[in-house]
Amino acid sequence: MTVATRLRFALLVSLLVQAAAGVPGAAAAAPAYEVDRAQSSLTFVGDQQGEKFIGTIRSFRAAIRYSPSDLATSLLDVSMDLKSIDTKNSERDAALATAVWFDYAHTPVATFRSVGPLRATKDGAVADADLVIKGKSKRITFPFRWTPAAGGAALDAKVSLDRLDFGLGAGEWADDSIIGHRVDVIVHLALKPAAPSP
Amino acid sequence: MALQSTPFRWGALARLLHWAMALGLGYAVGLGLWMTDLPVGIQKIKTYALHKSVGITLLGIAVIRLLWRLLDDRPLPPPGTPRWQHRAAGLTHVLLYGLMLLLPLSGWLYNSAAGFPLRWFKLWNLPRLAEPDPALKALAHDLHVYAAWTLVALVVLHAAAALEHHVVDRDDTLNAMLGRQPPVRRKDPPP
Ligand code: HEM
Ligand code: HEM
Repeated sequence: MTVATRLRFALLVSLLVQAAAGVPGAAAAAPAYEVDRAQSSLTFVGDQQGEKFIGTIRSFRAAIRYSPSDLATSLLDVSMDLKSIDTKNSERDAALATAVWFDYAHTPVATFRSVGPLRATKDGAVADADLVIKGKSKRITFPFRWTPAAGGAALDAKVSLDRLDFGLGAGEWADDSIIGHRVDVIVHLALKPAAPSP
Repeated sequence: MALQSTPFRWGALARLLHWAMALGLGYAVGLGLWMTDLPVGIQKIKTYALHKSVGITLLGIAVIRLLWRLLDDRPLPPPGTPRWQHRAAGLTHVLLYGLMLLLPLSGWLYNSAAGFPLRWFKLWNLPRLAEPDPALKALAHDLHVYAAWTLVALVVLHAAAALEHHVVDRDDTLNAMLGRQPPVRRKDPPP
Protein backbone atom coordinates (compact mmCIF):
# COMPACT_ATOMS: atom_id res chain seq x y z
CA MET A 1 0.00 0.00 0.00
CA THR A 2 1.28 3.42 -0.85
CA VAL A 3 1.06 6.26 1.61
CA ALA A 4 -1.61 7.92 -0.44
CA THR A 5 -3.74 4.81 -0.53
CA ARG A 6 -3.32 4.34 3.21
CA LEU A 7 -4.45 7.91 3.87
CA ARG A 8 -7.47 7.54 1.67
CA PHE A 9 -8.35 4.28 3.45
CA ALA A 10 -8.05 5.92 6.86
CA LEU A 11 -10.30 8.78 5.78
CA LEU A 12 -12.91 6.36 4.51
CA VAL A 13 -12.86 4.39 7.78
CA SER A 14 -13.17 7.53 9.85
CA LEU A 15 -16.11 8.78 7.74
CA LEU A 16 -17.84 5.41 8.11
CA VAL A 17 -17.30 5.43 11.87
CA GLN A 18 -18.61 8.98 12.11
CA ALA A 19 -21.68 8.18 10.08
CA ALA A 20 -22.40 5.08 12.13
CA ALA A 21 -22.03 6.98 15.41
CA GLY A 22 -24.04 9.91 14.13
CA VAL A 23 -21.31 12.36 15.00
CA PRO A 24 -22.25 15.64 13.39
CA GLY A 25 -19.93 16.91 10.74
CA ALA A 26 -20.48 20.08 8.81
CA ALA A 27 -21.87 18.20 5.85
CA ALA A 28 -24.14 16.04 7.99
CA ALA A 29 -26.15 18.89 9.62
CA ALA A 30 -29.91 18.47 9.59
CA PRO A 31 -31.38 19.90 6.38
CA ALA A 32 -32.76 23.44 6.36
CA TYR A 33 -36.34 24.24 5.46
CA GLU A 34 -38.11 27.40 4.52
CA VAL A 35 -41.66 28.35 5.31
CA ASP A 36 -44.37 28.35 2.69
CA ARG A 37 -46.14 31.49 3.91
CA ALA A 38 -49.40 30.90 2.10
CA GLN A 39 -49.88 27.49 3.68
CA SER A 40 -48.59 28.27 7.18
CA SER A 41 -50.19 29.93 10.15
CA LEU A 42 -49.14 31.15 13.56
CA THR A 43 -52.14 31.84 15.77
CA PHE A 44 -53.10 32.10 19.41
CA VAL A 45 -56.37 31.52 21.17
CA GLY A 46 -57.21 33.90 23.98
CA ASP A 47 -60.21 34.15 26.25
CA GLN A 48 -62.13 37.37 26.81
CA GLN A 49 -65.06 37.27 29.21
CA GLY A 50 -65.45 33.57 28.63
CA GLU A 51 -65.37 33.88 24.86
CA LYS A 52 -62.52 32.53 22.76
CA PHE A 53 -60.86 34.78 20.23
CA ILE A 54 -58.20 33.99 17.68
CA GLY A 55 -55.19 36.19 17.03
CA THR A 56 -53.16 35.68 13.89
CA ILE A 57 -49.51 36.68 13.72
CA ARG A 58 -49.35 37.50 10.05
CA SER A 59 -45.67 38.30 9.78
CA PHE A 60 -42.92 36.04 11.08
CA ARG A 61 -39.65 34.51 9.95
CA ALA A 62 -38.50 30.99 10.72
CA ALA A 63 -35.21 29.18 10.32
CA ILE A 64 -35.86 25.47 10.68
CA ARG A 65 -33.36 22.63 10.52
CA TYR A 66 -34.68 19.21 11.19
CA SER A 67 -33.85 15.60 10.64
CA PRO A 68 -35.16 12.80 12.83
CA SER A 69 -31.77 11.16 12.52
CA ASP A 70 -29.85 14.30 13.41
CA LEU A 71 -31.59 15.88 16.37
CA ALA A 72 -28.38 17.43 17.67
CA THR A 73 -28.10 19.85 14.76
CA SER A 74 -31.83 20.29 14.37
CA LEU A 75 -33.02 23.70 15.48
CA LEU A 76 -36.04 25.98 15.46
CA ASP A 77 -35.60 29.73 15.35
CA VAL A 78 -38.59 32.02 14.84
CA SER A 79 -38.99 35.81 15.03
CA MET A 80 -42.46 37.27 15.14
CA ASP A 81 -43.51 40.78 14.21
CA LEU A 82 -46.12 41.42 16.87
CA LYS A 83 -47.42 44.50 15.07
CA SER A 84 -48.89 42.12 12.53
CA ILE A 85 -51.27 40.58 15.07
CA ASP A 86 -54.88 40.58 13.90
CA THR A 87 -57.64 39.56 16.33
CA LYS A 88 -60.55 40.60 14.09
CA ASN A 89 -61.44 43.48 16.39
CA SER A 90 -59.90 46.89 15.78
CA GLU A 91 -60.36 48.09 19.39
CA ARG A 92 -58.72 44.97 20.76
CA ASP A 93 -55.87 45.22 18.24
CA ALA A 94 -55.30 48.82 19.28
CA ALA A 95 -55.25 47.80 22.94
CA LEU A 96 -52.63 45.11 22.27
CA ALA A 97 -50.24 47.80 21.04
CA THR A 98 -50.23 49.61 24.38
CA ALA A 99 -47.75 49.29 27.22
CA VAL A 100 -50.13 47.09 29.26
CA TRP A 101 -50.00 44.40 26.56
CA PHE A 102 -47.29 43.90 23.93
CA ASP A 103 -45.95 47.46 24.02
CA TYR A 104 -45.14 47.66 20.33
CA ALA A 105 -43.24 50.91 20.84
CA HIS A 106 -40.55 49.15 22.87
CA THR A 107 -40.82 45.43 22.12
CA PRO A 108 -42.34 44.89 18.68
CA VAL A 109 -40.67 41.52 18.14
CA ALA A 110 -40.98 38.21 19.96
CA THR A 111 -38.46 35.44 19.44
CA PHE A 112 -38.44 31.69 19.89
CA ARG A 113 -35.18 29.67 19.78
CA SER A 114 -34.60 26.04 20.55
CA VAL A 115 -31.73 25.36 22.95
CA GLY A 116 -29.65 22.21 22.78
CA PRO A 117 -30.51 19.02 20.97
CA LEU A 118 -34.09 18.01 20.26
CA ARG A 119 -35.52 14.77 21.67
CA ALA A 120 -37.39 12.30 19.53
CA THR A 121 -41.06 11.50 20.15
CA LYS A 122 -43.45 9.08 18.51
CA ASP A 123 -44.48 11.44 15.74
CA GLY A 124 -41.90 14.22 15.89
CA ALA A 125 -39.70 15.75 18.53
CA VAL A 126 -39.57 17.95 21.61
CA ALA A 127 -37.48 21.09 21.81
CA ASP A 128 -36.49 23.09 24.85
CA ALA A 129 -36.79 26.65 23.72
CA ASP A 130 -36.41 30.19 24.94
CA LEU A 131 -39.48 32.27 24.20
CA VAL A 132 -38.94 36.00 24.57
CA ILE A 133 -41.98 38.26 24.64
CA LYS A 134 -41.92 41.84 25.85
CA GLY A 135 -38.29 41.39 26.87
CA LYS A 136 -39.12 38.52 29.23
CA SER A 137 -37.52 35.19 28.48
CA LYS A 138 -39.01 31.87 29.49
CA ARG A 139 -37.73 28.37 28.86
CA ILE A 140 -40.59 26.31 27.50
CA THR A 141 -41.05 22.74 26.34
CA PHE A 142 -42.19 22.62 22.76
CA PRO A 143 -43.39 19.27 21.45
CA PHE A 144 -44.25 19.17 17.77
CA ARG A 145 -45.46 16.75 15.17
CA TRP A 146 -43.45 16.34 12.00
CA THR A 147 -45.28 15.08 8.95
CA PRO A 148 -43.23 14.52 5.81
CA ALA A 149 -45.18 15.58 2.76
CA ALA A 150 -44.60 15.68 -0.94
CA GLY A 151 -41.70 18.07 -1.48
CA GLY A 152 -41.32 19.03 2.17
CA ALA A 153 -42.95 18.55 5.53
CA ALA A 154 -45.45 20.01 7.96
CA LEU A 155 -44.65 21.04 11.53
CA ASP A 156 -47.62 21.22 13.91
CA ALA A 157 -47.62 22.22 17.53
CA LYS A 158 -49.82 23.58 20.28
CA VAL A 159 -48.42 25.01 23.48
CA SER A 160 -50.21 26.57 26.40
CA LEU A 161 -48.73 29.73 27.90
CA ASP A 162 -49.55 31.90 30.88
CA ARG A 163 -49.67 35.51 29.70
CA LEU A 164 -48.56 36.76 33.13
CA ASP A 165 -45.19 34.98 32.69
CA PHE A 166 -44.45 37.61 30.08
CA GLY A 167 -45.96 40.56 31.92
CA LEU A 168 -48.84 40.75 29.46
CA GLY A 169 -51.74 42.56 31.07
CA ALA A 170 -50.44 42.98 34.59
CA GLY A 171 -51.99 45.01 37.42
CA GLU A 172 -55.74 45.51 37.09
CA TRP A 173 -55.69 43.57 33.82
CA ALA A 174 -54.51 40.43 35.61
CA ASP A 175 -58.18 39.62 36.34
CA ASP A 176 -58.58 36.14 34.89
CA SER A 177 -62.36 36.46 34.52
CA ILE A 178 -62.03 39.37 32.09
CA ILE A 179 -59.01 38.23 30.06
CA GLY A 180 -58.00 34.61 30.64
CA HIS A 181 -54.45 33.90 31.82
CA ARG A 182 -54.06 30.90 29.57
CA VAL A 183 -53.26 31.44 25.94
CA ASP A 184 -52.85 28.56 23.51
CA VAL A 185 -50.43 29.07 20.67
CA ILE A 186 -51.10 27.01 17.57
CA VAL A 187 -48.36 26.56 15.02
CA HIS A 188 -48.78 25.11 11.58
CA LEU A 189 -45.76 25.45 9.32
CA ALA A 190 -45.73 24.11 5.78
CA LEU A 191 -42.06 23.61 4.96
CA LYS A 192 -40.11 23.01 1.82
CA PRO A 193 -36.39 22.31 1.55
CA ALA A 194 -34.43 25.54 1.58
CA ALA A 195 -32.55 26.44 -1.54
CA PRO A 196 -28.91 25.59 -0.79
CA SER A 197 -27.11 28.71 0.30
CA PRO A 198 -24.31 29.74 -2.06
CA MET B 1 -103.49 42.30 44.76
CA ALA B 2 -104.71 41.09 41.41
CA LEU B 3 -102.09 39.87 39.00
CA GLN B 4 -104.33 40.49 36.02
CA SER B 5 -105.41 43.89 34.80
CA THR B 6 -109.07 44.86 34.65
CA PRO B 7 -110.85 47.49 32.52
CA PHE B 8 -110.23 49.86 35.44
CA ARG B 9 -106.84 49.00 36.88
CA TRP B 10 -103.46 47.77 35.82
CA GLY B 11 -102.73 44.39 37.40
CA ALA B 12 -99.68 43.79 39.56
CA LEU B 13 -97.72 42.05 36.82
CA ALA B 14 -98.31 44.75 34.22
CA ARG B 15 -97.25 47.39 36.73
CA LEU B 16 -94.20 45.46 37.82
CA LEU B 17 -93.11 44.95 34.22
CA HIS B 18 -93.79 48.60 33.33
CA TRP B 19 -91.81 50.08 36.20
CA ALA B 20 -89.02 47.53 36.05
CA MET B 21 -88.64 48.41 32.39
CA ALA B 22 -88.68 52.14 33.15
CA LEU B 23 -85.97 51.79 35.82
CA GLY B 24 -83.92 49.35 33.77
CA LEU B 25 -83.96 51.50 30.65
CA GLY B 26 -82.95 54.54 32.67
CA TYR B 27 -80.06 52.55 34.12
CA ALA B 28 -79.00 51.19 30.71
CA VAL B 29 -79.08 54.66 29.11
CA GLY B 30 -77.13 56.12 32.04
CA LEU B 31 -74.49 53.40 31.85
CA GLY B 32 -74.35 53.72 28.05
CA LEU B 33 -73.64 57.44 28.14
CA TRP B 34 -71.20 57.16 31.03
CA MET B 35 -69.18 54.17 29.89
CA THR B 36 -68.27 55.50 26.45
CA ASP B 37 -66.40 58.41 28.09
CA LEU B 38 -64.47 56.30 30.58
CA PRO B 39 -60.72 56.05 30.01
CA VAL B 40 -59.62 52.73 28.54
CA GLY B 41 -59.13 50.31 31.42
CA ILE B 42 -60.61 47.40 33.26
CA GLN B 43 -63.34 49.67 34.68
CA LYS B 44 -64.49 50.52 31.19
CA ILE B 45 -64.65 46.85 30.17
CA LYS B 46 -66.58 45.99 33.32
CA THR B 47 -69.02 48.84 32.79
CA TYR B 48 -69.60 47.78 29.19
CA ALA B 49 -70.19 44.23 30.41
CA LEU B 50 -72.73 45.51 32.94
CA HIS B 51 -74.49 47.66 30.32
CA LYS B 52 -74.77 44.66 28.03
CA SER B 53 -76.00 42.33 30.79
CA VAL B 54 -78.64 44.85 31.88
CA GLY B 55 -79.66 45.34 28.23
CA ILE B 56 -80.04 41.62 27.61
CA THR B 57 -82.09 41.32 30.81
CA LEU B 58 -84.36 44.08 29.51
CA LEU B 59 -84.75 42.20 26.23
CA GLY B 60 -86.04 39.25 28.26
CA ILE B 61 -88.37 41.49 30.25
CA ALA B 62 -89.66 43.12 27.04
CA VAL B 63 -90.50 39.73 25.54
CA ILE B 64 -92.30 38.63 28.71
CA ARG B 65 -94.11 41.94 28.79
CA LEU B 66 -95.35 41.63 25.22
CA LEU B 67 -96.48 38.04 25.78
CA TRP B 68 -98.30 39.06 28.94
CA ARG B 69 -99.96 41.93 27.12
CA LEU B 70 -101.51 39.40 24.71
CA LEU B 71 -103.09 37.53 27.61
CA ASP B 72 -103.88 40.40 29.92
CA ASP B 73 -106.78 42.83 29.96
CA ARG B 74 -106.13 46.59 30.14
CA PRO B 75 -107.86 49.67 31.55
CA LEU B 76 -110.23 51.65 29.37
CA PRO B 77 -109.25 55.22 28.59
CA PRO B 78 -110.78 57.69 31.04
CA PRO B 79 -114.26 58.71 29.95
CA GLY B 80 -114.29 61.62 27.57
CA THR B 81 -110.80 61.01 26.17
CA PRO B 82 -110.66 62.48 22.65
CA ARG B 83 -110.14 59.93 19.92
CA TRP B 84 -106.90 61.59 18.69
CA GLN B 85 -105.47 61.37 22.19
CA HIS B 86 -106.32 57.72 22.51
CA ARG B 87 -104.74 57.11 19.09
CA ALA B 88 -101.64 59.15 19.92
CA ALA B 89 -101.18 57.24 23.16
CA GLY B 90 -101.64 53.96 21.31
CA LEU B 91 -99.07 54.91 18.68
CA THR B 92 -96.57 56.02 21.31
CA HIS B 93 -96.99 52.73 23.14
CA VAL B 94 -96.44 50.72 19.94
CA LEU B 95 -93.24 52.71 19.28
CA LEU B 96 -92.11 52.22 22.86
CA TYR B 97 -92.62 48.46 22.60
CA GLY B 98 -90.71 48.47 19.31
CA LEU B 99 -87.81 50.36 20.86
CA MET B 100 -87.76 48.03 23.87
CA LEU B 101 -86.85 45.30 21.38
CA LEU B 102 -84.79 47.36 18.96
CA LEU B 103 -82.40 48.75 21.58
CA PRO B 104 -81.07 45.51 22.98
CA LEU B 105 -81.15 43.79 19.58
CA SER B 106 -79.21 46.58 17.86
CA GLY B 107 -76.75 46.61 20.78
CA TRP B 108 -76.32 42.86 20.49
CA LEU B 109 -75.87 43.15 16.71
CA TYR B 110 -73.30 45.93 17.13
CA ASN B 111 -71.45 43.93 19.73
CA SER B 112 -71.38 40.89 17.43
CA ALA B 113 -70.27 42.79 14.34
CA ALA B 114 -67.53 44.49 16.38
CA GLY B 115 -66.28 41.10 17.56
CA PHE B 116 -66.71 41.74 21.28
CA PRO B 117 -67.63 39.00 23.72
CA LEU B 118 -71.08 38.93 25.30
CA ARG B 119 -71.49 37.32 28.68
CA TRP B 120 -74.61 37.72 30.76
CA PHE B 121 -73.56 38.67 34.30
CA LYS B 122 -70.44 36.46 34.22
CA LEU B 123 -72.69 33.42 33.84
CA TRP B 124 -73.50 32.61 30.23
CA ASN B 125 -71.97 33.55 26.96
CA LEU B 126 -74.47 34.39 24.27
CA PRO B 127 -74.00 33.57 20.59
CA ARG B 128 -73.11 36.13 17.93
CA LEU B 129 -75.91 37.59 15.83
CA ALA B 130 -73.38 38.22 13.04
CA GLU B 131 -69.76 37.66 12.19
CA PRO B 132 -67.31 40.56 12.69
CA ASP B 133 -67.91 43.05 9.88
CA PRO B 134 -66.86 46.75 9.89
CA ALA B 135 -69.75 47.96 7.69
CA LEU B 136 -72.39 46.19 9.75
CA LYS B 137 -70.66 47.37 12.91
CA ALA B 138 -71.00 51.03 11.85
CA LEU B 139 -74.61 50.53 10.82
CA ALA B 140 -75.64 48.76 14.02
CA HIS B 141 -73.85 51.38 16.11
CA ASP B 142 -75.81 54.20 14.47
CA LEU B 143 -79.01 52.24 14.87
CA HIS B 144 -78.30 51.67 18.57
CA VAL B 145 -77.47 55.31 19.30
CA TYR B 146 -80.37 56.81 17.28
CA ALA B 147 -82.77 54.31 18.81
CA ALA B 148 -81.55 55.32 22.28
CA TRP B 149 -82.19 59.02 21.65
CA THR B 150 -85.57 58.30 20.07
CA LEU B 151 -86.47 56.29 23.15
CA VAL B 152 -85.42 59.09 25.48
CA ALA B 153 -87.49 61.61 23.49
CA LEU B 154 -90.58 59.36 23.42
CA VAL B 155 -90.34 58.57 27.12
CA VAL B 156 -90.19 62.27 27.94
CA LEU B 157 -93.32 62.77 25.83
CA HIS B 158 -94.97 59.73 27.40
CA ALA B 159 -94.18 60.78 30.97
CA ALA B 160 -95.30 64.33 30.25
CA ALA B 161 -98.62 62.97 28.95
CA ALA B 162 -99.00 60.85 32.08
CA LEU B 163 -98.38 63.89 34.26
CA GLU B 164 -100.79 65.92 32.20
CA HIS B 165 -103.50 63.33 32.86
CA HIS B 166 -102.70 63.43 36.54
CA VAL B 167 -102.29 67.14 37.15
CA VAL B 168 -104.32 68.85 34.45
CA ASP B 169 -107.06 66.36 33.58
CA ARG B 170 -107.06 65.03 37.14
CA ASP B 171 -108.00 61.53 35.94
CA ASP B 172 -106.81 58.12 37.11
CA THR B 173 -104.45 57.23 34.25
CA LEU B 174 -101.31 57.54 36.35
CA ASN B 175 -102.97 56.27 39.55
CA ALA B 176 -103.87 53.08 37.70
CA MET B 177 -100.27 52.54 36.65
CA LEU B 178 -99.04 53.35 40.16
CA GLY B 179 -101.43 50.75 41.58
CA ARG B 180 -103.33 53.22 43.73
CA GLN B 181 -106.69 51.77 44.54
CA PRO B 182 -109.52 52.03 44.50
CA PRO B 183 -109.39 54.39 41.53
CA VAL B 184 -110.10 57.59 43.41
CA ARG B 185 -111.03 59.95 40.66
CA ARG B 186 -113.22 57.89 38.39
CA LYS B 187 -116.63 59.32 37.79
CA ASP B 188 -118.09 55.93 36.83
CA PRO B 189 -117.42 53.40 39.61
CA PRO B 190 -116.53 49.85 38.60
CA PRO B 191 -119.61 47.61 38.42
C1 HEM C 1 -82.36 48.13 26.37
C2 HEM C 1 -81.35 48.32 26.35
C3 HEM C 1 -80.27 49.28 25.97
C4 HEM C 1 -80.23 50.64 26.02
C5 HEM C 1 -81.31 51.59 26.47
C6 HEM C 1 -78.93 51.03 25.55
C7 HEM C 1 -78.49 52.34 25.45
C8 HEM C 1 -77.24 52.72 25.07
C9 HEM C 1 -76.74 54.07 25.04
C10 HEM C 1 -77.54 55.31 25.42
C11 HEM C 1 -75.47 54.03 24.61
C12 HEM C 1 -74.52 55.20 24.41
C13 HEM C 1 -74.48 55.56 22.98
C14 HEM C 1 -73.41 56.56 22.68
O1 HEM C 1 -73.61 57.73 23.02
O2 HEM C 1 -72.39 56.16 22.11
C15 HEM C 1 -75.14 52.66 24.37
C16 HEM C 1 -73.92 52.22 23.91
C17 HEM C 1 -73.61 50.88 23.75
N1 HEM C 1 -74.45 49.81 23.90
FE1 HEM C 1 -76.31 49.86 24.55
N2 HEM C 1 -78.22 49.92 25.22
C18 HEM C 1 -79.01 48.81 25.47
C19 HEM C 1 -78.68 47.50 25.28
C20 HEM C 1 -77.48 47.06 24.82
C21 HEM C 1 -77.12 45.68 24.62
C22 HEM C 1 -78.04 44.49 24.90
C23 HEM C 1 -75.85 45.66 24.16
C24 HEM C 1 -74.97 44.49 23.79
C25 HEM C 1 -75.20 43.32 23.80
C26 HEM C 1 -75.40 47.02 24.08
C27 HEM C 1 -74.14 47.39 23.66
C28 HEM C 1 -73.70 48.68 23.64
C29 HEM C 1 -72.35 49.03 23.30
C30 HEM C 1 -71.23 48.07 22.97
C31 HEM C 1 -72.30 50.43 23.36
C32 HEM C 1 -71.06 51.29 23.16
C33 HEM C 1 -71.02 51.92 21.85
C34 HEM C 1 -69.74 52.70 21.72
O3 HEM C 1 -68.72 52.27 22.27
O4 HEM C 1 -69.76 53.73 21.07
N3 HEM C 1 -76.41 47.84 24.48
N4 HEM C 1 -76.23 51.87 24.66
C1 HEM D 1 -91.06 57.85 34.19
C2 HEM D 1 -91.87 57.72 33.63
C3 HEM D 1 -93.09 57.01 33.19
C4 HEM D 1 -94.37 57.28 33.57
C5 HEM D 1 -94.83 58.36 34.52
C6 HEM D 1 -95.22 56.36 32.87
C7 HEM D 1 -96.58 56.30 33.00
C8 HEM D 1 -97.40 55.44 32.34
C9 HEM D 1 -98.80 55.36 32.48
C10 HEM D 1 -99.62 56.21 33.42
C11 HEM D 1 -99.27 54.43 31.64
C12 HEM D 1 -100.72 54.01 31.45
C13 HEM D 1 -101.23 54.55 30.18
C14 HEM D 1 -102.60 54.07 29.87
O1 HEM D 1 -103.27 53.58 30.79
O2 HEM D 1 -102.99 54.20 28.73
C15 HEM D 1 -98.17 53.90 30.93
C16 HEM D 1 -98.24 52.93 29.96
C17 HEM D 1 -97.18 52.51 29.21
N1 HEM D 1 -95.87 52.85 29.43
FE1 HEM D 1 -95.17 54.20 30.74
N2 HEM D 1 -94.45 55.54 32.08
C18 HEM D 1 -93.15 55.92 32.25
C19 HEM D 1 -92.08 55.35 31.63
C20 HEM D 1 -92.15 54.42 30.64
C21 HEM D 1 -91.02 53.86 29.97
C22 HEM D 1 -89.57 54.18 30.25
C23 HEM D 1 -91.50 53.01 29.06
C24 HEM D 1 -90.76 52.19 28.10
C25 HEM D 1 -90.20 52.32 27.18
C26 HEM D 1 -92.95 53.02 29.15
C27 HEM D 1 -93.78 52.28 28.33
C28 HEM D 1 -95.13 52.22 28.47
C29 HEM D 1 -96.00 51.46 27.61
C30 HEM D 1 -95.58 50.61 26.42
C31 HEM D 1 -97.29 51.64 28.09
C32 HEM D 1 -98.57 51.05 27.49
C33 HEM D 1 -98.90 49.80 28.20
C34 HEM D 1 -99.92 49.04 27.38
O3 HEM D 1 -100.94 49.61 26.98
O4 HEM D 1 -99.65 47.87 27.17
N3 HEM D 1 -93.31 53.87 30.13
N4 HEM D 1 -97.02 54.53 31.38
